[in-house]
Amino acid sequence: MTTLPQQPDMTRPARSTPSRWRVLSWQLVGLLLLVGIWWLVTDLLKLYPPYVFPSPRAVWTEIQYGLWGSGPQDGKLLAAIAGSLRRVLTGYVAAVLLGGVVGLLMGAWLPLRATLGAYLTGLQSVPSIAFVPFAILFLGLNERAVLFVVILEGFIPVALAVSGALLNVPPTLRVAGRTLGASGLALMLRVLLPAALPNVLTGLRTAWSFAWRALVGGELLIAGAKSLGEQLEVGRNTANVALVLATILIIGLIGGLFDALLRVLEGNVRRNYGLESHT
Amino acid sequence: MTCTATLRRSSLLLTFALTLAPAAQAQSATTVRLGFFPNLTHAPALIGLERGTFQKALGNAKLDARQFVSGTTLNEAFAAGQIDIAYIGPGPAISAATRGMPVQFLAGTAEAGAVLVARKDSGIKPYKDMAGKVVAVPSLGNTQDISLRHILKDNSLRDRKDGGNVTIVPIPPADIVAAFAGKRADAALVPEPWGAALEAQGHKVVGTEKTVWREGKYPTTILIVNTKFAQANPALVTAFLKAHNEAVAFLTKSPAAAQTAVNAQLAKLTGEKLDSRVLQRAFSRTRFTTALDLEALKEYAALNVEAGYARSVPDLTPFLRK
Repeated sequence: MTTLPQQPDMTRPARSTPSRWRVLSWQLVGLLLLVGIWWLVTDLLKLYPPYVFPSPRAVWTEIQYGLWGSGPQDGKLLAAIAGSLRRVLTGYVAAVLLGGVVGLLMGAWLPLRATLGAYLTGLQSVPSIAFVPFAILFLGLNERAVLFVVILEGFIPVALAVSGALLNVPPTLRVAGRTLGASGLALMLRVLLPAALPNVLTGLRTAWSFAWRALVGGELLIAGAKSLGEQLEVGRNTANVALVLATILIIGLIGGLFDALLRVLEGNVRRNYGLESHT
Repeated sequence: MTCTATLRRSSLLLTFALTLAPAAQAQSATTVRLGFFPNLTHAPALIGLERGTFQKALGNAKLDARQFVSGTTLNEAFAAGQIDIAYIGPGPAISAATRGMPVQFLAGTAEAGAVLVARKDSGIKPYKDMAGKVVAVPSLGNTQDISLRHILKDNSLRDRKDGGNVTIVPIPPADIVAAFAGKRADAALVPEPWGAALEAQGHKVVGTEKTVWREGKYPTTILIVNTKFAQANPALVTAFLKAHNEAVAFLTKSPAAAQTAVNAQLAKLTGEKLDSRVLQRAFSRTRFTTALDLEALKEYAALNVEAGYARSVPDLTPFLRK
């Protein structure tokens, strides 16, 4: 699934944005409500046995031990986060560089766009987990196999966004650039790329969520290194559902946090480009 | 079984767990759902199935035997209330008890029967050679994984994740042959008959069943029952236990006939017959017993803590069937 580059809808009047604090306080209320229901179902009503659906307290205990516990075997979640982040950032940077280059080439050259572009769109519909068995056979049961899947998943949305964004650059800008004497690489670097930036950023954000999901999926099947996927597997193998839920929460939190950061960056660029109103 | 299939099965089980778990099962059962692995360390299960011992003992209740590839998936099925009686390793059994699953330890099944095999060109001879190598276990947190971590500790080695240089990877025993061929693992701690089968392919046993732990005096498989099922069906549990004892007695008294029966059942389950010499060798490294070695189980629980899979050693006595 691709998030298509969105063009601002000029026909509708801009809605007034609610203040940041109002949004934040509603989010807090929602969170408390969610934990409340969770507590009600597990601790109070005891609808599920704790080995199937543990209470918020049990999950919190796992997070505590996993993040800042001081026992000899504690702190594993923290180490797992560090390992997974290092892996995903390596893969993400590689994916962005690779996707950028491939996207530029596709944007500039029709034959490539018509062939590779179409294949990549098809490839994108294949879930990352489907590539893992191949990656294991091809590269071995190790981190390289995980990185392979992360890069593969991350580079496709970047490449598609870059080539798509280049094609969506208003022809007037291209003409203006030519008129002012830019051509070839200069036209690309100084006119087309800057014009495509907002849509490229959307692609980068999609690539992040794809890469993060691919990472955890890959890690789940390729243990042997500190990772969040391995924590899920250990939790599963030792019947520790609280650890599984704690890891899921952390995965969601990190994924959301990076997405929010990229969203801020994207929003800033869009505002600077006049695509969104300043608040 | 492939990874994705395992994943699919586990997510299915999770769905079952979420939908079925709250429903209590109080009425007496008409079906006994048995979980086991197609391993030699589960031979009493294989014998009981092959010779019809279980079904005969259960009378009118129907035996529904389901095979699993690891204690993890078996534990999940157990937690979801899909299994009543199970042959399982002490690792998952202790995990189940620790997490408050309704489990009772019924009887002993097999002791020792796990060996450390090194790939023929890995160069591993003494345990210390595992430094810098990749060692496979059936799954993380399982009985063999816990044993391996103990061996590493005794030899001043450590898991790479804990700052050492031994990489521990989970690979189902049936896939170890392929993993060795593809040089994806240098050694493996596996239950029988996988150890003997690897040996038959020219790989080297570097840790016998006796040097793995406690001079071989440790349970590899035990028999457990769902507490609720046991309370609702005491007669069925007693009957099953009697059949289990018969199967173990048959294994110890007539090993030759038992091997034939085990091989016949394995062939039905996996579609492959083992070489009789492989089976014989695997048998010679496994001891069958109905006794539960509580002392060894306690030490297992302590190793579980040492390996970082649990934070405290639980009192196991309440889980024993009186």
